[in-house]
Amino acid sequence: MNEIIIKIGGAFLTAILAFTVGMFYAGLRRKITARVQNRVGPPIYQNFLDLLKLQSKSTNVAHGFMGHMAPIWIIIAAMTVLMFIPVLQNNLWFDNLTLKGDLIFLLYMMVFGSLGMALGAGQTGNPNSAIGVTRGLSQMVGFEIPFVMALVALMLQFKTTSIADLMHFQSSTGHWIILENPFAFLAALLSSLGMFRYSPFDIVGAPAELASGPMSEFGGKYLGTMMTGGAVFAFIKLVLFVDLFLGGAGNNSVEGIVGTGLGLLELLIKTFLFYMIPVFIGLVSPRFRTEQAIQFFWKWPSFFGLIAIGWALYKNGALG
Amino acid sequence: MEILTSILLIFLIGAIITYFIDGISRKITGITAFIFSLIGAVVFFAKVQSGDTLKFQLGGIDLQWGLNDYSYYFVYIILGLGVLALLYSIKYMEGKARLGYFYGSFLLTLLGMLGVVISQDFVSLFIFWEIMTWASFLLIIYNAYYKVKTKGIKYMIFSAIGAYAMLTAIVFIKEHYGTFIISEAIEKGAFNFEQYIYIPVFLLLGFGIKAAVMPFHVWAPAAYSKSPMSFTTVFSGAMSKMGVFGIGLVFTSFYLNANPENFYWVKLILGWLGGITAVMGTIYALIQVDAKKLLAYSSIAQLGYIVVGLSTGTKLGVMAALYLAVLHAIFKGALFMVAGAVERQAGTTDMTKVSGLIRKMPWTFFVALISIIALAGIPPIGGFVGKWLLYEALITESNNYILVIVIFFSSTAAFLYSYRFLFGLFLGQEEKETENVKEAPVTMLIPMLILGVLALVTGSYPGLVFEPAAKAMQAIGFTDVSWQMSSLTNIWGNTTNLFLISMLIFAVFIIAFIFLTLKGLKKTRYVGTKEISTSGELPKEWENFTFQHDFFKPFERAAAPLYRMNMNKIWKDLGKNLEAFFGFFRKLYTGNGQTYALYVVIFLVLLLLFKDVIFS
Repeated sequence: MNEIIIKIGGAFLTAILAFTVGMFYAGLRRKITARVQNRVGPPIYQNFLDLLKLQSKSTNVAHGFMGHMAPIWIIIAAMTVLMFIPVLQNNLWFDNLTLKGDLIFLLYMMVFGSLGMALGAGQTGNPNSAIGVTRGLSQMVGFEIPFVMALVALMLQFKTTSIADLMHFQSSTGHWIILENPFAFLAALLSSLGMFRYSPFDIVGAPAELASGPMSEFGGKYLGTMMTGGAVFAFIKLVLFVDLFLGGAGNNSVEGIVGTGLGLLELLIKTFLFYMIPVFIGLVSPRFRTEQAIQFFWKWPSFFGLIAIGWALYKNGALG
Repeated sequence: MEILTSILLIFLIGAIITYFIDGISRKITGITAFIFSLIGAVVFFAKVQSGDTLKFQLGGIDLQWGLNDYSYYFVYIILGLGVLALLYSIKYMEGKARLGYFYGSFLLTLLGMLGVVISQDFVSLFIFWEIMTWASFLLIIYNAYYKVKTKGIKYMIFSAIGAYAMLTAIVFIKEHYGTFIISEAIEKGAFNFEQYIYIPVFLLLGFGIKAAVMPFHVWAPAAYSKSPMSFTTVFSGAMSKMGVFGIGLVFTSFYLNANPENFYWVKLILGWLGGITAVMGTIYALIQVDAKKLLAYSSIAQLGYIVVGLSTGTKLGVMAALYLAVLHAIFKGALFMVAGAVERQAGTTDMTKVSGLIRKMPWTFFVALISIIALAGIPPIGGFVGKWLLYEALITESNNYILVIVIFFSSTAAFLYSYRFLFGLFLGQEEKETENVKEAPVTMLIPMLILGVLALVTGSYPGLVFEPAAKAMQAIGFTDVSWQMSSLTNIWGNTTNLFLISMLIFAVFIIAFIFLTLKGLKKTRYVGTKEISTSGELPKEWENFTFQHDFFKPFERAAAPLYRMNMNKIWKDLGKNLEAFFGFFRKLYTGNGQTYALYVVIFLVLLLLFKDVIFS
């Protein structure tokens, strides 16, 4: 009985944590952007206010079946993926379902939300939405390649497809994978630029060209739900990278709530540092055209990905 | 076991009766064909067990028919899809010409396929293979009865090449091993690449052409998209699996008693052929504007995955291939039916002409959605399981790591055409031209829904397919094939629990649906596809917002080098060169009587010169 309470409570706790951190980071990004552009900028909690406003509105128009489904699918994808990502190590509350799914599953599950979004945007009939979707899908073919190369390299090097195992390796040996296979990290880092969709890869939303693209026909609760999903997804991506390359978090010997707090602090620091990379690159970059964005990922990042696979095989002893 | 003969007879008699009944009453032709196929299927599954064999002699040759678990696995695909497609045909073909011709050939095709999997000797295999090929050829040219040369010629040529290759291999097997029985030939090592390499190569050529493997796939796009959709369901869903059936048989029986070093190159070549097939099929699928063509190219790509799975030769890989074979039959069958339903109701499947059908054909859309998710391999629907098995097989058990990336590229690019299909037909602007389109008739929806539900169920309980697949693998020589009802495990011990995932998705769906959609549903009104945000301006009635042309232009630009590779052109060039080469021989026929007289004299002189050699 106690176990079930911990499971359910832990799931809620994880969801709340992911939501808060994701929204907070989004606010922080707006603030940083403003400061770089010599503006004052909105307060950091502005995104919470936006969400509150959106959620308090009642929806008046509907765009048909897929329009209804789009935000639901995004939330499904966000929650499902979240449950399979190890947030903290060796912590009962954040354990969730981490051992029940592996990296390949996560890769495919992450697409689920985008698919719902794409179909919902498609049904509205807005050509801008559809163009945004085609751009997003095309760009995905770009950045998934180096990302998968990096993941395959990790799988080969450590002979596991589970994130929990990769984390366990890093905490038990003390070697972070960023040092064990730096090329995999490089490939994954570069492809993460596409995943976060900040400049120069913000071709999907592209405010000046597509009027926010796939999102353009959604409002009120639906838009709010999508925002929530987006925030959770941002957290998921950050935690995934920290888990895979930066040693994860929560590997301390302190017992009880203090240990959990320290672990969360570690997680926040690591995710924040990682998050700043795409944000700062975004601040100083103009936008790519779609084909440029795709080709970017097929050049250097994929090259690093190939080296990463070679490196993994070398470390693994498969190459002579 | 005379029951096998009588089942084949049911299909044969059915074909003949259906052909002639068309002259009596056109309305019952389709129903007759459906009933015959249903009787055949019911009798088969009720009476025939795997392990049944029937031996007899014909013209002094030992023939053997029978079933093992491996062939039984393919019978599920053939008869299951065949019966559903015939039920679908009743309404789809309604009012079209030459129904007797269509249904007769259809039943003959089913007979041929059934014959291929039940024959345990090469002679009947070849005969049934030819019946299947010819009957399906008749169906491909159904829509172009008077233009046979342009529509069906590629299929005919490649089928002929495949058939000759197969015949050659069979003759050589008899020559070297002295038997026509397949199992005896396997035992004697006929499929080994070490001894007589041309035997397995010719056989693989014969089977590979039916499985549309690069570079012999060029017949497939036209053949799949030109034949009536109700037949393409079977053509792409089941008949291409006959190629997979053969490749699997040859390849695994070779793998299991060959030494790994020789195996390495074969594995590499077959794997890369499959990988390139998958990539090229995918990138050509996503530039198509005709939904049928799109599905045809996508079929080629999916068959590429299956070939890759077989090429690994490992348990997980072959399991992936067999699983994907069934799943491909399910979702691609459903998708071709969807395309057929749209064609029947809206008149065309050209995506630049039809769009926004979701509210007019909701059930068709539902099936299309599920099948597309299965095709794209997104959980929690069955296709994901196949993708998972394939990747894990390639990563954990094979050492062809670049191939993993290639496959991944192909299946990520598959999202593009998946979206293209759904958007092109069902989403986007609602057009005036398609205002009066109605939902497809019930008898067409039922088979589609059955296939859709199957795709849905296999997502949570893939064990339903694993069970016969594991038996099939044991029948061709694998031992200890393990499987679980609803979870997946690779050899490193990492698991994915599908049932849990489905439950989680379902739970979140229900909660979100109640609190998000249902709560405000009554207050909302549906706005058309014209009431959209266009920078504050109200779009006029005549303004066109359709986005269907050049859908993935940026991707095309980015991947331009890939598009320059075109197998069709290579074959055409080869054809031209051959024509020029044989044109030289044509010059011998001068039309001049004196030249011919000279030939006769030369021939007689040669005969006299070499008479000792020839007549010794």
